[in-house]
Amino acid sequence: MNAIEIKNLSKNFGQKQAVCGLNMTVPLGAIYGFIGENGSGKSTTEKMICGLIPKSDGTIRLYGKDHTDPDVRAKVGVLIETPGCFPGLTVWDNLMLQAANLGIRDAEIEVIRVLKTVRREGAAGNKYKNCSLGMKQRVGIAMALLGAPTLLVLDEPLNGLDADGMRIMREVFTDVVKDGTRSIVVSSHLLGELQKVATHYGIIRHGKMIREMTAAELDADCRTFTALQSGEMSRTKALLCCKYSRVEEDEAGYLRVYDGVTPEEIVVYLYDNGICVSEIRTDKIGLEEYYIDLMKEGK
Amino acid sequence: MEHTVKFENQSFGKGLGTMLKVDFRRMRKSKLFYILIACALLIPVIMTVMLTMMDGTESKNPQTGEITIMEGPESVWESIGTLPSDEPAPEQRGDAAMGGMGAMGGMDVMAMCNINMMFMLAAVFVCLFISDDFRSGFSKNLFTVRAKKGNYVISKTIAGFVCGALLLIAYFAGALLGGAVSGLSFALVGGLTVINIVLCMLAKIFLMLVFVSIFVIVSVAAKQRAWLSICGSLGAGMLLFMMVGMITPLNSTLLNLLLCGAGGALFAIGLGTFSRLILRKAALI
Repeated sequence: MNAIEIKNLSKNFGQKQAVCGLNMTVPLGAIYGFIGENGSGKSTTEKMICGLIPKSDGTIRLYGKDHTDPDVRAKVGVLIETPGCFPGLTVWDNLMLQAANLGIRDAEIEVIRVLKTVRREGAAGNKYKNCSLGMKQRVGIAMALLGAPTLLVLDEPLNGLDADGMRIMREVFTDVVKDGTRSIVVSSHLLGELQKVATHYGIIRHGKMIREMTAAELDADCRTFTALQSGEMSRTKALLCCKYSRVEEDEAGYLRVYDGVTPEEIVVYLYDNGICVSEIRTDKIGLEEYYIDLMKEGK
Repeated sequence: MEHTVKFENQSFGKGLGTMLKVDFRRMRKSKLFYILIACALLIPVIMTVMLTMMDGTESKNPQTGEITIMEGPESVWESIGTLPSDEPAPEQRGDAAMGGMGAMGGMDVMAMCNINMMFMLAAVFVCLFISDDFRSGFSKNLFTVRAKKGNYVISKTIAGFVCGALLLIAYFAGALLGGAVSGLSFALVGGLTVINIVLCMLAKIFLMLVFVSIFVIVSVAAKQRAWLSICGSLGAGMLLFMMVGMITPLNSTLLNLLLCGAGGALFAIGLGTFSRLILRKAALI
């Protein structure tokens, strides 16, 4: 049984088709990275999963049951766009409201637990409107974690978090799925961060799922490249461009050769042309580059 | 995540109870609620004191030279409803037909600020209360999990009704206080009894359900657009505003109470069903 099974899901807003024939499978115990450009239909799909907007066509099954079934809906925790807190109330009051909404018996104990989980026990008395963006995100995640849901649907949960916040969230996500019965769907544009935790990926474009794969499949799909530095970078680049089809300079100032050549070949070639390589290594492209390549292919 | 969380049983009654608990907790924490109650309490005090002070003041129309003498309220009950009169003056008959806005004359200050104005304040509360759910995104948390749309509508209607009833009671208390401060008469004239006044207040409270049902459906349709729901609710409320005084005169009987109660129940059920339909068919965010 899968946590989410979507078949031929479509959503039209008047003439505009936001999601068209989308298929998606989220296995149990998965951290599913849901990736796509702005306006590709990620949030719309997530809202349909949560039953917040009606679908135009297709089926959504959560744990083998229709997504409108109250039993499965009770198992879903969400953070879509905003945490859904009242600005004038304190963090504690907001969480207590949601605990009451969920019908949790020992609400106070549960609220303390989720605040501890997101490492924000001390923020309980703060008014929500006075919280920083990162703090609000953490409160939103705490709210989604209330009642220990078996499925978490999180839309851009990493926005506004500092490095420590992101590390904590990674730990939280890993902790949630470790027993293999809970799953998380995370959409994020911070692909580097997502790659650190995701076990499965779904890439959506213009409302269609263009690729679904596991982290292992992504790893196998990612091309290797050779990154190097030398004393004369501009001349080195010119020389490499003459011989190899794809040479790019990365953000760290390294030249990357994607043609599948060995470092030895490159070193010899450059040495023959009077350039000494100061540093060279082979590496694999990350999710971000893989995604960008995929988008370029599509275009 | 190695722990067990216990949930309440989610039968219809429990579900509604949970939702009501959430709404009343919110209401208790809401500044708006206390501001409106304070307004309801202070408006009659200020108005009664001000109008009593202005009693007998002459004002001259600069164009016609006509001198008008300001008439203040004579009885505390004028701010609650129409005073019963066997032989109303011709202009007073007109007032009664316009919704019993007091026997003091047309659309005067007291008439504009009498207890029926609380129906409009209730509109502000209901609209902001519901639109806050959608603006803050709380509705997403609400509807994703256990909340049923029917429960949501019932709960909001009850919360709005309770707030409306408290506004009416606060105004009533304010009117009594204002009357006492200004030294107005508490005498029950023209066959008026305490029971009539109690029935009048109860009828107004029941009638509040009619108004709240309208405000709920408008707010649910407008969702996060608070300005739209307030304008819509005030517009719809104004259409019915004139009938409030007619249906709930100061000398109300059981018939008035039954009429208002039945109207409230019918509107709540009918419009509540439509509100639920809107929530079912439209996006919830």
